Amino acid sequence: MSLLSGLRARLRVLRHPLAADRDLAEEIRFHIELETRQNIERGMSPEEARRVAVARFGGVQRVREDHRDVRRLQLIEDFIGDVRFALRSLRRTPALAGAAVVTLALGIGANVAIFSAVNAVVLRPLPFPAPDRLMVITEENPEKHWHLNVAAPANLFDWRSGVSDFADVTGYIDGLGKSTLTGRGDPQILETSRTLGNFFSTLGARATMGRTLTEDETWRNGTHVMVLSDKGWREHFGADPNVVGKSFTMDGDLVQIVGVMPPSFVYPREGVDGWRPLELNKANMGAVSFRRAHYLRAVARLNPGVTQAHADAQLQAVVDRLKREYPGTNRVMGALMMPLHDFLIGDTRLPLLVLLTSVAFLLLIACANVGNLLLVQAAGRQREAALRLALGAGRERLVRQALTESLVLSTVGGLAGLAIGWAGTRAFVRLQPDGMLRVHDFGVDSTVLGYVLAITLLSALIFGVAPALWMRHRNPADSLKEGGRGAAQGGRAKRWGDALVVCEVALALLMTVGAGLLVRSFYQIAHVDPGFDSHGVLSASFQLPARYDSSAKILAFMNELERRARAIPGVTSAALVSNSPFNGPSYTSDFIAYGRPEGGYGTEIGNRVITPSYFETMKVPLLRGRNFGPEDREGSTPVLIINEALAKSYFKGEDPIGQRLSFDKVPTAKSTWYTIIGVAGTEHVDALDVAPRIEAFHDEAQEPSNYMVALLRTNGDPIALAPAVRVAMRELDPAIALLDVHSVDELRASSMARARFLTTLLLAFALIGLTLSVVGVYGVLAQMSRNRTREMGIRIALGAQSAQVRWLVVRQGLRLTAAGLVIGATVAVFATRVMTKLLFNVSPNDPLTLAGVVVLLGATSVVAAWIPAANAGRADPVVALRAD
Amino acid sequence: MSSDQSDVLRGTLDLLILKTLTLEPMHGWGISARIQQVSRGLLDVNQGSLYPALQRLEQRGWIESDWRRTENNRRAKYYRLTSSGRRAVGAETANWRRYVEAVELILDIT
Repeated sequence: MSLLSGLRARLRVLRHPLAADRDLAEEIRFHIELETRQNIERGMSPEEARRVAVARFGGVQRVREDHRDVRRLQLIEDFIGDVRFALRSLRRTPALAGAAVVTLALGIGANVAIFSAVNAVVLRPLPFPAPDRLMVITEENPEKHWHLNVAAPANLFDWRSGVSDFADVTGYIDGLGKSTLTGRGDPQILETSRTLGNFFSTLGARATMGRTLTEDETWRNGTHVMVLSDKGWREHFGADPNVVGKSFTMDGDLVQIVGVMPPSFVYPREGVDGWRPLELNKANMGAVSFRRAHYLRAVARLNPGVTQAHADAQLQAVVDRLKREYPGTNRVMGALMMPLHDFLIGDTRLPLLVLLTSVAFLLLIACANVGNLLLVQAAGRQREAALRLALGAGRERLVRQALTESLVLSTVGGLAGLAIGWAGTRAFVRLQPDGMLRVHDFGVDSTVLGYVLAITLLSALIFGVAPALWMRHRNPADSLKEGGRGAAQGGRAKRWGDALVVCEVALALLMTVGAGLLVRSFYQIAHVDPGFDSHGVLSASFQLPARYDSSAKILAFMNELERRARAIPGVTSAALVSNSPFNGPSYTSDFIAYGRPEGGYGTEIGNRVITPSYFETMKVPLLRGRNFGPEDREGSTPVLIINEALAKSYFKGEDPIGQRLSFDKVPTAKSTWYTIIGVAGTEHVDALDVAPRIEAFHDEAQEPSNYMVALLRTNGDPIALAPAVRVAMRELDPAIALLDVHSVDELRASSMARARFLTTLLLAFALIGLTLSVVGVYGVLAQMSRNRTREMGIRIALGAQSAQVRWLVVRQGLRLTAAGLVIGATVAVFATRVMTKLLFNVSPNDPLTLAGVVVLLGATSVVAAWIPAANAGRADPVVALRAD
Repeated sequence: MSSDQSDVLRGTLDLLILKTLTLEPMHGWGISARIQQVSRGLLDVNQGSLYPALQRLEQRGWIESDWRRTENNRRAKYYRLTSSGRRAVGAETANWRRYVEAVELILDIT
């Protein structure tokens, strides 16, 4: 059709301007030739004939220039004209234009904010050279239900030496420890990462000042070194340009600063202040503990050119060999290799995907609304369009102008959306829970701008297509005949409008169901009974420096601290435990009870060290037996308190009191046997949405630990106790700092922080989507009521009650909503399965949520129909019949 | 040529070209010669504006072009009407007639 052929002609000219020039030149030549021949036939001489022909043609160059100008100008002229026309017509209906822009801005803005996050986390590459060569190797143990677990050093070293495809393998402790810097005023706490010596060389990172760690620094050699991060250097060392080479006291040791890293290197966690080598004891290398204790996150760099599959094959060969050579520890210990990037974004992928889908739906709803608005506007402009068609404007021109108008609307909406989205990213960065995203700070970069451009154009197409096509197929004669009012009554426009609204409602349902499920899930998590009383308890951790090198010194300190803590006014009870609440056990191990047959061992028992007042402070019931007491000291029989979960599972039907437990799979002559003296209530040691574990409590008096958490219970606000605790600590030993001071309720809230954040976001988007869809239903019903005023008037004149007329409108609203709900609900049944991993104790097809959302949307459609129904009911038959 | 004059004449020229092409496809010179012939010498198409006009009409999608060989085996660009061009002839002709009527009405007022 002509639009295409016109376009083809334009494209040809654009793509091959030189060819177009040449063609024209040839045409002119041909023309002049024929003209010359004609002149010769008329009797002129050949030279004169040619001269006259050329003269008659006019300036050839001028012709060529004009030709070129026509080519160029036509396109731009047309476009500018269309844009001007679009702006003029939008200015004539400011309310509609304003509504459209606001709607689009909301939809696009939400997408910008979420996509910025996705871009930073998923799309941006890691800040290392050749990051795709870096692989994470995790240990897998089906017996202990270990997946993606940290590695034992001995295994790591064997992988390193046994796989030639690895250029190097390094390891680090996953997470940041706290080092206390003293000797410069108040003790300062540095977030420290403990790594192997080849950490920086394997990742490929270089220092800006000084050097990074060397491989031999993995091993203990009496000296201590540290590499600072840019943040650590600025915040704790005043950006001292001569800091390299200086030594400071950290955790009681003299540590020398050997280098400073650039600001871009913040691995493994944002907020890292520095890196210290693990200082492993080389003498232990062959010991079982080296292969049994798992605490290193292993990262390998592949040699250039080798494939992941090839390296994996070599890795599995080594793993099999280790299984055979060390059956005691490695019999079922497998290894999994995956790209580092995938590992780092692993558990944020699903939430981000859900968020992205939600805002995509929001944008579609927004486009549907704007599409409907434009259809209404097009219907209102029928007479004008008809006149223009009659006066000779091409239909294509009208279509093009309609599309340009859509483009202008979406551009303005897109710019506004960009502003909203940018504000959204700032809010996101500020409000997100710590460590939720791999990259903490992100913004709008060129990729995001490209995305905005794409969705702006796409939106214009989506909502512009309907009115443009409608414009195309209108017969102007009809519009002029009916007086411009009847056309939108039925037929295409109405069907389009209805279809758009049904889609909107379906999408709104999906969004609301998703949010609703998360709300229910969050509610479930928040109401889990942790097994202890988290209200009114302060938690503060601390680490004793190396100078506390005997159990006597440690115990003396711990006892005195507990005594002073109890003496603080307002404190009803105090205790010490080896790990803060909701942080998991201190470590896990295998275990076996005395007298069980071979193979009768259990795995993954949580271990914590406590002082006897723990149960009282946390209000955990002691169900059987007795608590630790003064008779349990270092040197007397090792005692243990187990939790009910262990008693019920491993000691089913037996009385565990008096039985003995050892923390080995296969006990040897050297194994320690603990006597069980009591059974305590089961607690949620990890986060609330993780099932409670089997646990064993050790007595601090028998196994002193130099890292402990102080728990203080009070009737008032626990945070108010913090200053007094700090004073007590300082009086005991000014070199020790209190770390992680929080109320246990705060810890409980943080453990749910991610779920809360995600739920809040999805709920917010769902509410916006719901509102937009209600507005959409209202719009369509309002249009219907306006168009059928005449019909309503006639009905009333013929005796219908206004309630009956109102019901017509409400019924239409219900019909549209019902259709949307049916479609939406059907899709929801399948679509929500994606969210299963995010839900706690709630099925993705939870009928209560689905029913609730259906009722809610049904009710909102009645609300949406209210005003249009009222208007229809008030239709004055006289006015209606007269109006034409 | 001033720009307003060229606007009026542009429209007229377009109409003349389209009408000429309703009979058969032709090349540029042929169109110019036919117009001159049929108008009995009264209308002398400004040859300088002929080719820009053909370009414009082609971009509007009312005519299409392709290169063919003449009887003398010379290469020439032939133009022909498209279906929408055919429709446009009717519309443009009606436009022209209305325009002439309007001008006459004004000229009659004396």
